[in-house]
Amino acid sequence: MLIIENLTKIYDNGFKALDNISLEIPDGQFVAIIGLSGSGKSTLLRCINRLIDPTEGRIIWNDIDITAATDDELRQIRRRIGMIFQQFNLVKRSSVITNVLSGRLGYVNPVFSLFNYFPGKEKERALAALDRVGIREKAYNRASALSGGQQQRVGIARTLMQEPELMLADEPVASLDPATSHSVMKYLQLLNEEDGLTILCSLHFLSLARAYSHRVIALKDGKLEFDGPAQAIDDERFKMIYGEEAVQVEIH
Amino acid sequence: MNDSTPPKTNNALRTLLIIVVITIVLAIYSYGWTVTDINLDKPQEAQRQQNLGEALRDLLSPNIFQQDYTFQAATLPFVMTCPAEGAPAAVSAPADAAPYILISATCGVANDVVTVQGFNFHPETFARIEWIPDGGEARVRQPIGRGEDNFFTDALGRFEVQIEVPQIRGSSGQTHIIQARVAVPAGLPHFSNTTGVVLEKMVETIFLALIATTLSILPSAILSFFAAHNLMKPIRMTLGNLLVSFALLPVGWLLGSALLSPIGTFALNLGQGTLFGAGSTALALGFAMVAAVRKPRVVETTGWEARLRSVLLAVLVAIIVTAVVGLLGGLGLSGDMFFHNLGSTLRPQTAEGPAVAANFGQWLVYALGDVLTSFGNMIGTLGQLLQLLMLPIAGVIGAVTLSSIGTTLTLDALKHVDRVTSHMLGGTLGAICGAILLGITASIGMQAAWLGLLTPLVAAGLGGGVFSLAYQRLTGSKQRKIPGESTSQRLSSWVGIALVFLATFVLLNVERAVVEGVLPTQTELLNLFGMPIYFYVAEAMLIGAVLGGVAGALAGTRAAFPFGDMLYTTTRTILNGLRSIEPLIMGLVFVIWVGIGPFAGVLALTLHSIASLGKLYSEQIESIDSGPIEALQSTGANQLQTIMYAVVPQIIPPYIAFTMYRWDINVRMSTIIGFVGGGGVGFLLQQQINLLRYREAGVAVLAIAIVVSILDYASASIRQRYI
Ligand SMILES: Nc1ncnc2c1ncn2[C@@H]1O[C@H](COP(=O)(O)OP(=O)(O)OP(=O)(O)O)[C@@H](O)[C@H]1O
Ligand SMILES: [Mg+2]
Repeated sequence: MLIIENLTKIYDNGFKALDNISLEIPDGQFVAIIGLSGSGKSTLLRCINRLIDPTEGRIIWNDIDITAATDDELRQIRRRIGMIFQQFNLVKRSSVITNVLSGRLGYVNPVFSLFNYFPGKEKERALAALDRVGIREKAYNRASALSGGQQQRVGIARTLMQEPELMLADEPVASLDPATSHSVMKYLQLLNEEDGLTILCSLHFLSLARAYSHRVIALKDGKLEFDGPAQAIDDERFKMIYGEEAVQVEIH
Repeated sequence: MNDSTPPKTNNALRTLLIIVVITIVLAIYSYGWTVTDINLDKPQEAQRQQNLGEALRDLLSPNIFQQDYTFQAATLPFVMTCPAEGAPAAVSAPADAAPYILISATCGVANDVVTVQGFNFHPETFARIEWIPDGGEARVRQPIGRGEDNFFTDALGRFEVQIEVPQIRGSSGQTHIIQARVAVPAGLPHFSNTTGVVLEKMVETIFLALIATTLSILPSAILSFFAAHNLMKPIRMTLGNLLVSFALLPVGWLLGSALLSPIGTFALNLGQGTLFGAGSTALALGFAMVAAVRKPRVVETTGWEARLRSVLLAVLVAIIVTAVVGLLGGLGLSGDMFFHNLGSTLRPQTAEGPAVAANFGQWLVYALGDVLTSFGNMIGTLGQLLQLLMLPIAGVIGAVTLSSIGTTLTLDALKHVDRVTSHMLGGTLGAICGAILLGITASIGMQAAWLGLLTPLVAAGLGGGVFSLAYQRLTGSKQRKIPGESTSQRLSSWVGIALVFLATFVLLNVERAVVEGVLPTQTELLNLFGMPIYFYVAEAMLIGAVLGGVAGALAGTRAAFPFGDMLYTTTRTILNGLRSIEPLIMGLVFVIWVGIGPFAGVLALTLHSIASLGKLYSEQIESIDSGPIEALQSTGANQLQTIMYAVVPQIIPPYIAFTMYRWDINVRMSTIIGFVGGGGVGFLLQQQINLLRYREAGVAVLAIAIVVSILDYASASIRQRYI
């Protein structure tokens, strides 16, 4: 259970990106976060694993107050929260398997890991993770040699190494074409259904939210604008979220 | 804004402005012209042109090669002042093919002209005529009508020249000798001695650059992380944590040098003992370290138990690190002897020095022996270095360990103190830290007059903090949600900086030091266990305590302190300062310390390279993709891991490129570092120029040009591959 209480984020320049957000997300839910560009989706997701420190409010996950955690505690918490990014954030010059293994750093011996040593069973785990996202044969390629969709799957494999219970996905498919988008979304769906992962995924297309999520949260100017099932978003709601000018675009 | 044509006045103003700017630019350049003494009269003087011509001709005729000669000589007697009974009979040509000369007169007085003919000499080589007075030194007679002493034999080995009889006082009646000396090339031309010396010095130059570059890589790579804004900015600490760890630094230093250095010395002796003993100790310590690091990861609690464990771990790591340093030092010292012996067994020393190889196989063995001896030298010096630095190393380890232990233990407690306590604690800790800080700067200030400025400067920094904090308090803007300073707050901090600077300046009498170069007086206030505390330092500490105390009390222990920003600024300032000192000047100072020779050059270039590479490297870090850093942080990796996996792979290629570039620069610099006594070819070049031996200097110049352009090309092509 992830509980967000009165979350507010004010950036250093004084910009209020999140305004008093409160949410409760039960385990195993697939939640889509939608909203216009600049509405605070990324900020919300980053506050949850404290890549950004919230200004006010609390985030409680499985009875642990993330906002109050010390650096050490925070690392323990982050190990169980996977995150994937729009830009994939792989180390392009490193091999795919090194990228995947780096998802395990929070678990392995910190001294040995500095010399790029991982026990054999961790390497097997990494290969298994790559197997799950269907690119095991690319394990020893450089990450930069992969296509966008493949890179995002490496990103997913990296989070799998964390054995996460919660997955934060910040526009994971925004820089992919529609067909690849669907294949990446399907992997997320798979994790949600097979492993019971809670997934928070920000998306640009309502149609993707409709196809994959149990629940949609809409942000507007840092405020919670809508919270409910995707089906409940009719034309009127849509215009409230995205503005009067907006028209729905389908992505197939 | 309106779109109509701009008013006329505007146009006129602009024209005026342009004219003013042009006038100013002209003034600047004409003044520059005068200051740099550009004038065309001197270069036109005939004497200077001739000098230039000669110097250039010599420079462009480097004596790289050399021809050895033997000499053919033929002589005839010459009587000074023809005797009354008539001139002695002329000698006629001998019948055999031996070289001989004929002269047109067999006697005469000074300034008579004598024609000398030579036959059967070596063809087309140079010759000279010498005059050997009775029982005197031979002197060269320059042939009449030629500018030079030397002249040439023709294709048949003949010559004919005219000379004047020299004026030699009291020589009347004596028989002198006229001698022709003709040079006969012996063997093929070979490299000259100059070339040999230059090559030797060139090798020294290249290695000087190589060693300086290599030594600078590690320090500058480490510094570059602290000088990278993107890595440092997010590092924040609460003021309380910072103050606790800072206050513990000197205590840790004392404890470290008292308790850890005996361990280090013990390990050093161990390492110096038998190789077996050292090896087994190293193994045991290695196991201990692995075990120590392995264990605590299993436990995931963060309570008191874990904290105690991490304290024990920190102490253990400190001991192990000290011991390993000591062991390495000892190994170096004993390894020196070992390899030295091995080397001299392979290449025995004879009475005339090292044995000379008879064949290729032996040469190989000898070369190996030499390499082993040099290796022994190297690790011996490194061992000695560690031995000499044992005390400071132990001190630093102790300081770092104790301050990190302090942070661990007080982290939680500091977080939960209430507001009043937080401000009181801040005041106390702030006073202690301020006193330590200014105590340190004042001690530095006692070393040289102008270093005395350091204390007012640091105090001014604290003062700025005090004033801007006080301003926040007074205006009640402390609870502002929006950080970022307002103008008036910045103004208040500048006022604070200025006031405190002036006050400290006056209180500590810095003016005397700055104006008259007088060091602060060494009046002892009290003597702590043989450690004198000077009145001057105590005064500075008092000022620091007051400023630090007020600042700490105003801010409270819970205030966030931009620790990373501070590290960044400090590192950058030091790097920039170092970089602005030319290696030649550094070389001058190091020559005083370690004496004339390449070692001084190595030190100078290393120091400069650290500063310069540190900056270049850090700029590379600043331009990396931050995405992977975020991604790794989000997986729960610690900071060191994040750097190893997200930063290092991105910076290795540019680091290699810049290191090559730096080696290139260092080779250039090491060619001239010798001008101040820093070794390498520059020293030779300077000597030769001072002695006006331009042909020899030409060899050095040519060698430098060749090596630099080869390296230039090599480094450019390697860099291209990595960027
Ligand atoms: N570091 C920052 N400093 C100041 N303002 C920021 C910062 N990061 C984001 N913002 C502002 O906060 C607001 C929310 O940003 P955020 O990145 O959360 O939006 P988003 O919903 O993810 O948008 P997008 O769909 O374009 O990714 C934006 O207006 C942005 O300009
Ligand atoms: Mg975003």
